[in-house]
Amino acid sequence: MLQTFFMRRKLLLVAGGLALAMLAAACGGGDEDAPSGGQGGTSGEPIRIGTSLPLTGDFSEPGKAAEQGYKVWEKLLNDGDGLLGRPVEIVVRDDASQQNLAVTDYTNLISQERVDLLLGTFSSLLNLPASAVAERNQMVYVCPACGAPEIFERGFEFYFFSQQATADNQGNLYAEYVTGLPDDERPKTAAYVTQDDPFTAPVIGGLQEKLEAAGIETVFSEIYPPDTRNFDTIANSIASRKPDLVAQGSIFEDGVGLVRSFIKAGFSPSSFFQTTAPSLGEQYAEGVGAENTEGVFFAISWDENLETPVNAEFVETHREMFGGDPAEDAADAFASAQVLQAAVEAVGDIEDQEALADYLHENEVETILGTLQWDEAGRPQSEFLLAQWQGDGFEIVRPEEIATSEEIVHPKPEWGR
Amino acid sequence: MEQLVQTIALGLLVGGILALAASGLTLIFGVMDVVNVAHGALLILAAFLTWTVWREADLDPLLTVVLTTPVMFAVGGVLYFAALRRLRGTSPSMTVILTFAIAIVIEGVMGFVWGNTSHAVTPEYFTKSFRVGGLFFPKGQVFGALLAIAMLAILYVFLTRTWLGRAIRAASENPQAAQLTGINIAMVAGLAFAIGVATTGAGGSIISVLFTFAPGSHVQWISRLLGIIVLGGMGSLPGAVIGALLLGTAESLASVYISIRWATAVPFIVIFAVLLLRPQGIMGTRLREDVA
Amino acid sequence: MSAAGSTTRRVDRRLARARGAVLVGAVVALLLLPVASDDLFYQNMAILTFLLAIMASSWNIISGYTGYVSLGQSAFLGIGAYTTALIALRFPDVTPFAFVPVAGLASAVIAAAVGVVLMRTRDHSFVILTIAFLFVTQIVVLNWPALTHGSSGVTLPLPRWDLDFQNWPFYYSLLILMLATIALSWWIRRTKFGMGLFAIRDDEDKAATVGINTSIYKVLSFVASAVFIGMAGGVFAYYLTFIEPRGMFDIVISVQVVLAVVLGGRGTLWGPVLGAFMIEPLFELTNTELPGGNWRLVLSGGLMAVVVLFLPRGIIPSLTSLGRARRERGKAALVGARLERPVRVRERARTPASSPDGRPILEVKGLRKSFGGLEAVAGASFAVPEGSICGLIGPNGSGKTTTFNLIGGTMSADAGEVLLDGRRIDRLRPWERAYLGLGRTFQITRLFRQMSVLENVVAPLRTFSWRQMTASAVGGTEARRADELLDFVGMRRFRDHPADELSFGQQKLVELAQILMLDPKVILLDEPAGGINPTLIEEIAEMIRELNSAGKTFLIVEHNLPMVLGLCDPLLVLARGACICTGTPREIQANPLVLDAYLGEDYAAEEEVETA
Repeated sequence: MLQTFFMRRKLLLVAGGLALAMLAAACGGGDEDAPSGGQGGTSGEPIRIGTSLPLTGDFSEPGKAAEQGYKVWEKLLNDGDGLLGRPVEIVVRDDASQQNLAVTDYTNLISQERVDLLLGTFSSLLNLPASAVAERNQMVYVCPACGAPEIFERGFEFYFFSQQATADNQGNLYAEYVTGLPDDERPKTAAYVTQDDPFTAPVIGGLQEKLEAAGIETVFSEIYPPDTRNFDTIANSIASRKPDLVAQGSIFEDGVGLVRSFIKAGFSPSSFFQTTAPSLGEQYAEGVGAENTEGVFFAISWDENLETPVNAEFVETHREMFGGDPAEDAADAFASAQVLQAAVEAVGDIEDQEALADYLHENEVETILGTLQWDEAGRPQSEFLLAQWQGDGFEIVRPEEIATSEEIVHPKPEWGR
Repeated sequence: MEQLVQTIALGLLVGGILALAASGLTLIFGVMDVVNVAHGALLILAAFLTWTVWREADLDPLLTVVLTTPVMFAVGGVLYFAALRRLRGTSPSMTVILTFAIAIVIEGVMGFVWGNTSHAVTPEYFTKSFRVGGLFFPKGQVFGALLAIAMLAILYVFLTRTWLGRAIRAASENPQAAQLTGINIAMVAGLAFAIGVATTGAGGSIISVLFTFAPGSHVQWISRLLGIIVLGGMGSLPGAVIGALLLGTAESLASVYISIRWATAVPFIVIFAVLLLRPQGIMGTRLREDVA
Repeated sequence: MSAAGSTTRRVDRRLARARGAVLVGAVVALLLLPVASDDLFYQNMAILTFLLAIMASSWNIISGYTGYVSLGQSAFLGIGAYTTALIALRFPDVTPFAFVPVAGLASAVIAAAVGVVLMRTRDHSFVILTIAFLFVTQIVVLNWPALTHGSSGVTLPLPRWDLDFQNWPFYYSLLILMLATIALSWWIRRTKFGMGLFAIRDDEDKAATVGINTSIYKVLSFVASAVFIGMAGGVFAYYLTFIEPRGMFDIVISVQVVLAVVLGGRGTLWGPVLGAFMIEPLFELTNTELPGGNWRLVLSGGLMAVVVLFLPRGIIPSLTSLGRARRERGKAALVGARLERPVRVRERARTPASSPDGRPILEVKGLRKSFGGLEAVAGASFAVPEGSICGLIGPNGSGKTTTFNLIGGTMSADAGEVLLDGRRIDRLRPWERAYLGLGRTFQITRLFRQMSVLENVVAPLRTFSWRQMTASAVGGTEARRADELLDFVGMRRFRDHPADELSFGQQKLVELAQILMLDPKVILLDEPAGGINPTLIEEIAEMIRELNSAGKTFLIVEHNLPMVLGLCDPLLVLARGACICTGTPREIQANPLVLDAYLGEDYAAEEEVETA
């Protein structure tokens, strides 16, 4: 029955050819202008890898960094032996931080551009709908930033998150460090505040749970909306409770905003943890004032001084190409590409997406973030790094075996001195 | 108790700055019967201009008003003569749609020029506070509020003491009569629009110090400003000031005593309550025309 | 006339047939597209285009037909999406398509509740409130995680049908919804309901005085413009498989909808659809070609500004009027053409019915209304005898028009009573007063500008009923009656002309015919002789006498004293908001109080109030 149905469909295909031709003419066909590979040790048609990134809109900051990460990987491969001996070409679309555009873009990449492989986009919000397109088309989807725990509850087979841990576990090392402090240095009270965001909220939630379990009293816990711009009142509320420790689930502006308001309110916790914002380096220092960064903790997936394979080349190439130090988001994107690369090289083929997925489910992969492995739903099974601002930049302080600094600043120097 | 006083103080300081930002919007509505939805975008534009001047010339952001005010005045003039003038006499909804379109274009242009990342202006005093007893008054806010009051005073004197200002007020109160006394309504409307936009110059400069901003931030600002002028009575300058102080305080109190997450809803709840219960606002003339 | 008319009609018929063929062709092409091409890109583009067309067509009902610009209509997309998604979570074994009708229902219920509140405001206030509505909905969804999962959003199951079917179910369900939306939009235009909406758009106060229940009409049109958006939201949620508050309640979606409608043509049937089919593909293609969202913003904003400034009516109305101008070129303009009705001057005795001692049919007792501190009507009391032609005179600013507005219900009184035929009507809505037999005209004629003369005359409603709303806009019996009335006022040959092309005097005549359609017992005329030539004044006076002898009672505000004195008896004199004396024209002329009132020194202040 279905057979004949599709037979008929083929006939109609001819019938509809005219309309299609018109549409195609109107839209300019468009994929003939792919650059030919040929440098380095590569030959043949390039392997085309599609991604859509939020180059504009709310997530443009990480989106642009991720694009750089992908481009560095592309260049490193093409300067070397390529992928399976073929050059690679990354096709990037902009989704303007909008979900329906992310869906459109991936649909377009799969059906129009007919890319061979996919790489993920940035932020959980965009990866959620985008990954469904990939899953539906049974293509492996490795995403650089999609830590929200909900994503993995859908039981996708082709979905992999290429950082060390899901959001709820990103504060683990900080919690371990704080609870491991000697009694007289250990914070007694803590305030938790997070942006209403599917990524940051679980980080702070997970941290709160662990610190409470260790007997640190919660004196304040609030969620603020993403468009909050004025943090003076929040800072004032927290300051009046004088917590020893403050943990904030911040993206960027809000992280800067709260620190600025704390300083204005004359409050300075002895231990301070934030998500994401402090990892943005110079921008963060500019926002809060360079002298106020000292001692701020954050979880991070990567550092330029990590002694992981290829990391030095990644940093160097990034500097060559873009004239600056790579952001963490660039490294995460690079790592995503590495994961995909590892699977392709192990399987030796880009046609069998199922085999690629199976490989990743069963094997460990070396990336610039360290060794990654996944459970059956694509959840990564490692630990995040704990970093701290020290001097002009930040250092990795945990885990100890890869720490770039032996020192940990505690208590945090008072702000506003 | 101390926390309550502190909360109200912070709310009032922000309110003073909001008052300046809202004054231009209410002026434009009063004279032209136009709700300038692009006002928030213009505010952010001025903030970006301040950022650039501060970055390049290391000029104090609050002093930048001497530059941003004339620049925004010119922007307002251009907008009026290139676009809004053509819509005189059409339905109000068309002007709303037009200014909305302008807001979106400005957002896109700002994205091209400055990027879609958030920016902040951080002069050395931005993290300092004055302290009175247990209370703190952030210097940025205090300076900003003082500057806003100064600008409002200048605007007030201009509107009440100069011929041009009186012409503008006459045009806003009774256009037909004003026309009869020889006031060129079109010219006055253009001027009022440009002056209204010029207030975003100072407003933007102050905002750049106190808040982080990005091209997309304007949506949030315009909803807040609309809340203020609806509350104060659309078209009324004193109303805008009172509305801004009330809204600033209400947001501040709501975020401490109710919940931060519901504080964002405050401007909208104010809009609903005022438009439905007392459509003329605190100071304004009747805005809503009911079928009784 | 007849030769020219028949060619026009033939051209029209040929155009209609061509349009029909194009439509059928387009629908067939859309039905075949996914079968013909397995390209997901075009399927996706088509799906998003259908979605925009559904939203645009729906928005057009509230904002194009009824004239209330809403920037919050995309909230119903989110409401529909969330309804479907949240129910689908509870029943994982049922396809989410099953809950799409529930999404429509939820949108309808919320729209009705919100509409009752929002529709109390107009213009700027309404626009601002709709924006507020959108954001409040978003904030509630964000901050009610127990129900909505808050900012984490809701994930729907992946479609389970075979991959070979691609996105067909989404494609076809949205196509069906789009056709249904267009059908609803088409149907509304043909009914009394649609006619009422157009009347509200053109002049809401006037619509209420000719018997249109504006409250119910407005709320219903708000509901009608929400239902299909909600259902489309349900399908869209399943298509995305993931929804979250910021993306679903994005004001940018509203902007695209507005852009599509304004571009295609507000208030037209096909404009919104045309706009959607232009805008969405344009965005999809520019998104591929141009680097980034900033372009998208500049492009959509710039395009919208250009359309508002240079093509404010949109493509379809501009093309239509271009076509009509071409066809009518060379024909003499009808405006100013001689009226058909011969002036029938008839010997006539003073109407016996108009004895001042007759039973009062309209009574006003202690009526008060103030604006700010000024009392425009200050305790006016008077009675209009049944069967009379009663004149209401007074100096400028004496409160005549305000009194009319209070009697007709366009404004509500602060105090006092109005009785029609012994029944209190001062708490009734304007249309209820019309049902009881009150008809009024306005000082400056207020016809529904965008309707034809015939439509204007059939627009009044003599009762309210739900069934009547679904009746055809211009029914046979009504049209016949309208023709008779147009005949009576001598305007029959203008019946198919747009009202706004008539001269002022012609509009007055049409307005009179319009009021007569209500078959009122009492007719209030506000300056019937204002601004028209003397011949026409005499004609109007003659018509009033004729109607009066047929039993209609008149209350006339008029400044043209010769006309008043020749026509009215009794006369009421209003000064400073109160009735200072009543009597025959002769008595009034002799009364010194009247002279005082007219020459009184401080009526200037009151005049301002009345014009304000």
